[in-house]
Amino acid sequence: MFLVSGNKEIIDYISVYETQYTAKKPETTAPFPSECPDTLDQYTGIWSKDQVAHLLRRTTYGSTIDDIRKAAMISMDQLIDILLEERPLPAEPINYYYDGDPAVPIGSTWVDRPYVRDNNELRVSRRRSLAGWTIGNLLNGGMHIREKLTLFWSNHFVTQGSVVRDPNFIYYNNNLLRAGALGNFRTLVERVTVNPAMLRYLNGNQNTRNSPNENYARELMELFTIGKGTLAAPGDYTTFTEQDVTEGAKILTGWIDTGFYYRDNQPAGSRFIANRHDRSTKQLSHRFNNAVVTNQNSSEYKFLIDIILQQDEVARFICRKLYRWFVYYDITDEVESLIIEPMAKIFRDNDYEVRPVLRALLSSRHFYNICSVGPMIKNPIDFIINHFVQFEIPVPEGIIESYQIWSRLSAVFEGFGMVYYEPPDVAGWKAYYQEPLYYRTWITAATLPLRQAFTNIMISGQAKIRDIILTMDPLNMIAQLDNPYSPDALIEELASYIYPVSLTPAQVAFLKEVLIPGLPDFEWTVEYNLHLSNPEDEATRRSVDAKLRVLLTTMLAMPEYYLS
Amino acid sequence: MKRRKFIRDASGFISVPFFIRGLPMTAMGSHHLRQAIDEDNDKILVIIQMNGGNDGLNTIIPLDKYDILGNVRSNILIPESEVLNVSDNMGLHPSMSGLMSLYDDAQMTVVQDVGYPNQNRSHFRSIDIWTSGSPAELVWTTGWLGRYLEGLYPDYPIDYPNDEYPDPFALSIGSIVSETCQGTLVNYSLAISDPLSITPLSNEGQGSTPDTPYGRELEFLRTTIDQANAYGTVISAAAEMGSSSIEYGDSKLARQLQAIALLISGGLGTKIYIANIGGFDTHANQVEQGTTSTGIHAALLKDLSDAVYAFHEDLTSQGLEERVLTMTFSEFGRRIRSNGSNGTDHGTAAPMMFFGSCVSGGIIGDSPTLPDDPGVSDGVPMQYDFRSVYGSVLQDWFDIDVSVINAIFNAPYTYIPIVNRCNQTTPTDNIPSISGIEAYNFPNPFERLTTVAIASKGGPIRISLFNGMGHEIDIILDRTIASGELEIRYDGSHLVPGNYFCRVISNYGVKVFGMIKV
Repeated sequence: MFLVSGNKEIIDYISVYETQYTAKKPETTAPFPSECPDTLDQYTGIWSKDQVAHLLRRTTYGSTIDDIRKAAMISMDQLIDILLEERPLPAEPINYYYDGDPAVPIGSTWVDRPYVRDNNELRVSRRRSLAGWTIGNLLNGGMHIREKLTLFWSNHFVTQGSVVRDPNFIYYNNNLLRAGALGNFRTLVERVTVNPAMLRYLNGNQNTRNSPNENYARELMELFTIGKGTLAAPGDYTTFTEQDVTEGAKILTGWIDTGFYYRDNQPAGSRFIANRHDRSTKQLSHRFNNAVVTNQNSSEYKFLIDIILQQDEVARFICRKLYRWFVYYDITDEVESLIIEPMAKIFRDNDYEVRPVLRALLSSRHFYNICSVGPMIKNPIDFIINHFVQFEIPVPEGIIESYQIWSRLSAVFEGFGMVYYEPPDVAGWKAYYQEPLYYRTWITAATLPLRQAFTNIMISGQAKIRDIILTMDPLNMIAQLDNPYSPDALIEELASYIYPVSLTPAQVAFLKEVLIPGLPDFEWTVEYNLHLSNPEDEATRRSVDAKLRVLLTTMLAMPEYYLS
Repeated sequence: MKRRKFIRDASGFISVPFFIRGLPMTAMGSHHLRQAIDEDNDKILVIIQMNGGNDGLNTIIPLDKYDILGNVRSNILIPESEVLNVSDNMGLHPSMSGLMSLYDDAQMTVVQDVGYPNQNRSHFRSIDIWTSGSPAELVWTTGWLGRYLEGLYPDYPIDYPNDEYPDPFALSIGSIVSETCQGTLVNYSLAISDPLSITPLSNEGQGSTPDTPYGRELEFLRTTIDQANAYGTVISAAAEMGSSSIEYGDSKLARQLQAIALLISGGLGTKIYIANIGGFDTHANQVEQGTTSTGIHAALLKDLSDAVYAFHEDLTSQGLEERVLTMTFSEFGRRIRSNGSNGTDHGTAAPMMFFGSCVSGGIIGDSPTLPDDPGVSDGVPMQYDFRSVYGSVLQDWFDIDVSVINAIFNAPYTYIPIVNRCNQTTPTDNIPSISGIEAYNFPNPFERLTTVAIASKGGPIRISLFNGMGHEIDIILDRTIASGELEIRYDGSHLVPGNYFCRVISNYGVKVFGMIKV
């Protein structure tokens, strides 16, 4: 027998619950120092290595001490010019080991080259090469925003490598995002919509007149452009409705991908097939001013994108995502009105050009404000790649050898919960949308040990790939400091390059105990000078080097190092 | 026989204004809840999240609707001869032979057509709804189990673990904590990927934390490290103590369930475990062209079935089966009609499955109500609200008082007898008789006016009209009525032609039937 449990007022409850409550946001958390959140106005305060390091941490995959010092010698505007400048695309990925590929000798690119039927080794070799190429791009991104922005777009216009499969398709998709990363958002949406990897991933290639597939139309609105608002009525999400999904799917019909695994001897591409296209007149909802779309064949999708991009909400939605990628996850009401709204206006005023809006954000008072410095938990890709770049881990010169290292490195990321090309689903990594944890989703009892193990192994010199020891040179690193002679100054200065916020005196004292346990300060000075005066003396070098490695292992195991 | 114990003192509990900041229960006095739990309850709940939206109609197959299914999903329909019949009108997907044997031993219960009013077909929003236990219209950022745990242990994680509570409250197997266990500020679940290899973490050199966002995140990191260390010790100890001698296979789910079995066997006091199996978003190639009992969906169901069967065998061989209830959920079912890509698109309700030696055993609810000619967007209409399922599990499995459960969902729920006395032997094909209520409409199909006729035992009744998308679009009747027969005229002239579903909910049961507007 069924029983309505508890009180019997089911009728009352239902009516109360339906009339009284509407979707509400939890109140924002405790207020922070009064100067937060500040404004999007140009930052005019102190411009020193601390501000430079903050800007570079957020926009690049790592900077050496030398990089930061040099960057601090130019103005903020000049540095941002460099970060946003035009750049040539990286060289195409190459076959770096497989000698059974009839079309591609070792050292040549496999992009748009034929596959051999049933040759799985060949496919594996291209997948590995793509994985290596991707890591190489991250490591060699230099003092430029593009690689971070490419990953941002790849986490925005999500495809999953495990679904798309053909490395050639994945390569084209990724390079499309890279080439357009700093360009025009409208252009990017247009290109992504008919990109072969996307056509496969969200079933656009199966979206036909007779059998419409709504998958891409839905995500185009919900995730890629305007976002989903609160439920205003059944099927009406404030920003768009179910009708728009259904009609939008019809507008997008007719496209197929071509050249999947070089099928029919064709390169990766897409094609419009008129008789798969729904030529009827489509009617969007009042959310798009009841727009009517008549048949425009292969250019119809652009028309739909234009209709969506006429809505002001698109710029807000994209700017919130940029904000969460480059600044912080917590978009309070103040941040919404003082930062997001003005960003969105810049975005719209510049017809969706990405550069102006990024320039405004990265040169704003808000960006350098105390509340914006340090609270971002580095994602695993940032955490690992940064280590290699920041600590100048030497990698071999030759391109083949480099690929060998890069592709092996690409296997490290899985346990950390972030593999390039493999976000968990079409919404991307949870860290950038899932309330209330956001960035904190990276940190669990499962991933924390990996972070500590990674830095321990890297610094101790146990990380080895193909007989190459991947480790930093601490003596070379501290030689770049202003004052490596005094232990306090050494630790404080190192900390200023490693952490976003300076350590407390007690923490410095703790680390000094790690460096020179139970010894007076001058002993460090003596030992270090001994090494400097006899650089050829291996025993002295080793003892100082070992001390520094212990110090660095401890420093990188501190959670301050996980923050940016 | 009945394990339920009643709350000792819940006075004043429900009058607490528990809806603060949009988050239920944050202001609740913890002592009330403490008294509401049974400290001797040693039950364990294992949740299997099936990510992507499982096609219920190809999982628990309604053989009495085979003609309709044959008309609208012939390209993915499992041949009738291959379906594993569990009753006259229900069958399991042929990949699920392990579950078939659990069903035959009354170790499996299916609740038909679980969903919520105003179905949201976005994966992420619908997962949020299922994990938070919120109505579709509200955004709650806490999880349903998180609110329960927060009521009991409001200070967590400060001073946890401790002598009284040395074990983690919930464990998520993998690298991500479970949203079902999200509290207001902290998640009550711990994520571990391998209980046999947990190494202590360094957390030295702590300083004070500034009152900034940076300080806030740093504090979170330090607390997580401390906790991982403290709980890591007990988890490792349990894993070493535990045993597991059954062959599980090597699917990801099998490995997760085996890790859970090991920890339960080793005596870990954790009450809630969460495992995950992904890939159910089968828009395309759900089945192999031509051989519909194979393909992506078949492989997933086989992984599920094999892993759950091994898990159950493992627990039974160690005498632990009466302590463990396993349940599945997925963010939505899929549409009645298949698409042209041998797949199915996002739909509405779907069955939930429960396993263990204490389930009632059998099928709860009617065979899904399908229109004779389903529209392109039509999903399976809901019979049972998912919060009623959650509430009934909390009530019967964890002995939680009804008023506490009502507070967790900020609403009453309908009791569903999912858990029963342990170790039954015969499954029941239709567990709670729905004789308490009968309903239909005439004429049907209708043009403008139609009459809904119900026969009931009276009491509060709500009759509402759902469209094929699962939205509750009209309320036909919503009041207390006398027992007996009642006819209500309904003017549907404002409706666009198509398929609708009428859902009647009362104290004596739920009834869903189709209505066609022409």
